[in-house]
Amino acid sequence: MKLVEYKAYDIFYKYDLPCSEGCVVSSLEELRDLKDTMKYPVVLKAQVQTGGRSKAGGVQFASNGSELLEKGEKLLGMKIKNLPVRIIFITDKVEIKKEMYLSFTLDRKHKKPVMIFSPEGGVDINEIAEKHPDKIAKVLLAPSKTLDDFVIQYAMDKTGLEQDYRTDFKGVCQKLYSVFIGMDCILAEINPLIIDNDDKMIALDGKIDVDDNSLYRHDDVRVFRNEIEENKLILEARHFDFLYIPINNEGNIAVISNGSGMIMSSIDLITKRGMTVTCALDLGGGATADRIKESLRIVASNPLVDTIFINIFGGITRCDEIAKGVEKGVELIGKTKLVIRLEGTNKEKGLEIINSVSGSVKMAAGLKNGVEILSQDLKL
Amino acid sequence: MSFFIDENTKLIVQGITGREGTFHTEQMLEYGTKVVAGVTPGKGGGEVLGVPVFNTVMQAMQETEANATVLFVPPKFMYKAAYEAIMSEIPLAITIAEGVPVHDMLKLHYLAKEKGCRLIGPNSFGVISPGKAKAGFMEHRIFMPGNIGIMSRSATNCYETVFFMKQKGIGQSTCIGVGGDMIPGSVFVDMLPFFENDPDTEVIVMIGEIGGSEEELAAVYIKEHITKPVVALIAGKNVPEDTSMGHAGAIVSPDGEGSAEKKEAELRYAGVHIAEGTEDLVEILLRLL
Repeated sequence: MKLVEYKAYDIFYKYDLPCSEGCVVSSLEELRDLKDTMKYPVVLKAQVQTGGRSKAGGVQFASNGSELLEKGEKLLGMKIKNLPVRIIFITDKVEIKKEMYLSFTLDRKHKKPVMIFSPEGGVDINEIAEKHPDKIAKVLLAPSKTLDDFVIQYAMDKTGLEQDYRTDFKGVCQKLYSVFIGMDCILAEINPLIIDNDDKMIALDGKIDVDDNSLYRHDDVRVFRNEIEENKLILEARHFDFLYIPINNEGNIAVISNGSGMIMSSIDLITKRGMTVTCALDLGGGATADRIKESLRIVASNPLVDTIFINIFGGITRCDEIAKGVEKGVELIGKTKLVIRLEGTNKEKGLEIINSVSGSVKMAAGLKNGVEILSQDLKL
Repeated sequence: MSFFIDENTKLIVQGITGREGTFHTEQMLEYGTKVVAGVTPGKGGGEVLGVPVFNTVMQAMQETEANATVLFVPPKFMYKAAYEAIMSEIPLAITIAEGVPVHDMLKLHYLAKEKGCRLIGPNSFGVISPGKAKAGFMEHRIFMPGNIGIMSRSATNCYETVFFMKQKGIGQSTCIGVGGDMIPGSVFVDMLPFFENDPDTEVIVMIGEIGGSEEELAAVYIKEHITKPVVALIAGKNVPEDTSMGHAGAIVSPDGEGSAEKKEAELRYAGVHIAEGTEDLVEILLRLL
């Protein structure tokens, strides 16, 4: 779960990281109420769940009240990469003396957390690595609750950050590391971490990516995740503990399966045969009949879907449960065609149940056969 | 001779009293696995399917001489249960749960190494040595004894492969679900030496997928150390980048890291046979045998 800037800021405040003051606005009325209380100049930043914001014009400056209204109205009416800007984050405009980069993330290759620091920040980390390979420190860390002092010193010496900043920098590193551990982050990033004209170190923009699997212990993030989700089907699926994945807006096929691997294999084969999957739904392991019924209803409510391919290889998922779910769900999906492939735990019981279901249901003998049936139906 | 589990393995089921734990204990017993104990805190003293239940792994090990455990425990409680198993110095712990926080796994990964415990999973179907024993939830009827060793990040893709293998009369020595998470207990590279040294294994099958760099790391190891033929399948070629596909680990970064193309290229360079899909994989096996 990637958090937008103002939510990342909420967490930074909570962990006492030095940030500039900010407020969140979602309507012109709020802007009007605020315009006389602001200390100008200010920065207005569009809050969308995507990158490339500055390039798209999502960051504006205002030096007085009328500019604030004008720029705010512009931002609230715009879309960035097709996402409507519903919220803008307004902060003091800071005079920047130096822009740096700091993050903690997971190094999957080494199976360790890694600290990445560069005194040349403000741009994408890949760009820093390209332009200033000597000004970047990557330190693999032993899993621990706290960050060792020597790691911080090493990063400073390696990149040539002046000793004058040591105390401030140490504080920021330790606090951001606490965010990384405390919030179950895949990524905790400050970019830019700036030094202003008064030599103060401030986190000017932040990115936090919280591990989805940890959300049960971060209620606030879980609630927020649902609040900002624009796709209703993702939300509905989530309610039943399913994962709904939009794949391609040009497609017409929905794939339902009981595991990520099988979904990927199904999409690979269907794509190879020249057909297009529009969405997929992962039931996870051990889905019961009632939940399977809901999964059918959810994908069928996507207007692009005219065919559903249920591909089950049951281990912990039982085929008879799937079949009972189809039996219950078939009346909820209207004219949507259904191709079903069942294999694995309790297959015979499942087939027996499916055979008694009326409607446009076709049985496939395997994944390849299922894809074959799909292509015949589409008359390819 | 199977290297992780066989007919002599004495297995604990942690979470034996839960719905899935009980169902799959029955399946494992039916397959001939020696399930000697169950562990559920607070339910010690009872019995499930004739298997004695203990409060702690330590007591279960002392009273039954168990030497492996499989955890049918929800993701929220996985850390605690696996921690207990590792600290009780069990040599093999197999974890099933899907959705374990990655920071929990980070800690367990290192703890297991420190304590000399072979940790498999999470998000894994378990381990099976067909005809001997299984520890996990895989549908065992599709497996049969043979000379192919399989390691897979995905349960369903492994089933699919094994299913076609059976139709062609090819069986397996040992199949291991390494799981689909970002930081698993064990990865492909950890499994390769076991298969290389296993006299029952003639060909090694690696079922990988997009995301991470385990296939690339395996490629380097294979080139230097593996003499047996290796066949690999990488799932997820046609899914959009930067989109989570369900397995926490199956995600391609916007910069292309973790892409199927890169993995296949490095594996090819290491002399690995690349399969287009599960059925194609079995065709390659037929040619190799």
